[in-house]
Amino acid sequence: MLLLTPVEAGAVARPSSGIGLGSWAMDDDTADELGEVAAEPTESAEQMAARFERDAMPFLDQLYGAAMRMTRNPADAEDLVQETYLKAYAAFSSFTEGTNLKAWLFRMLTNTYINIYRKKQRQPYQTGTDDLTDGQLHEAESHTSTGLKSAEAVALDRLADTDVVEALAKMPEDFRIAVYLADVEGFSYKEIAEIMDTPVGTVMSRLHRGRKLLRSLLEDYAIERGLIPAGVGDGGDDA
Amino acid sequence: MSCGNPHEVPCDEVLAMVYDYLDNECGEEQRHRIVEHLHECGPCLRQFGLEEAVKALVQRSCACATAPEHLREEIVTRIRSVSVTYRVRGVSD
Repeated sequence: MLLLTPVEAGAVARPSSGIGLGSWAMDDDTADELGEVAAEPTESAEQMAARFERDAMPFLDQLYGAAMRMTRNPADAEDLVQETYLKAYAAFSSFTEGTNLKAWLFRMLTNTYINIYRKKQRQPYQTGTDDLTDGQLHEAESHTSTGLKSAEAVALDRLADTDVVEALAKMPEDFRIAVYLADVEGFSYKEIAEIMDTPVGTVMSRLHRGRKLLRSLLEDYAIERGLIPAGVGDGGDDA
Repeated sequence: MSCGNPHEVPCDEVLAMVYDYLDNECGEEQRHRIVEHLHECGPCLRQFGLEEAVKALVQRSCACATAPEHLREEIVTRIRSVSVTYRVRGVSD
């Protein structure tokens, strides 16, 4: 069973436990911006529950959307989101009202996924990510010089949402999560770095490589669907 | 990749900044220099357009996720039961 029991969730909710996510190493500036400063100790449990419901629950759809892209199936996404909310609630006393709650929740989601959830899943792309994608990236690079970019942009735009979601699902998860956080949620590089607990340079590299790979995958779908003639989208060289 | 014409900012420099531009990660001056280049350079403009299309496509395909209603109810119920647990513990400690 993936989910914490209420008592277990409560056990990590002690106000003295800092951000409640021991594995996150952050500098003080980062912590301040994301709100890891002790809240007023005078709030009752009921008041905190009400505040949490009011402030954190509106992000449910967004967190569920991200969880769907992470886990790639609804049942696991539901478990992940529920687990995330319980952990967030357990650590909520350390969150300062008015700071970046959305980034804080997404960080909680990503952390939960990576540290707890992912271990339970079979992840074909989990190891050797860099090696695996180099070849595909090289292929993707060769796609960029066909000289038919406008037509290609139009063709890609005609792809069905399900094809795009499938293409995303094929990407290594570090790339997939970075691209999702930037493109769907509009997080800044700095926020993504904090959410994924990685340097900004790594975020930029993941976005760069992830998007190149995604474009290559999307072009394959576009060719398959007859939106781009075969031989134009892939393998084309400088005209 | 280049259109062959001379530009104040070279094509490879502009292309290297495509994501910073699309993700709103570059400063005003840098933005201005990129826009100026894109006005002069068709190949770079097309490349930016393609990257922009991919970004928009991801947005469009993932943007409207809706969590099932029962999930919301379950989470709220569990949060409330956790806060009840606190109170009971507080009294018994």
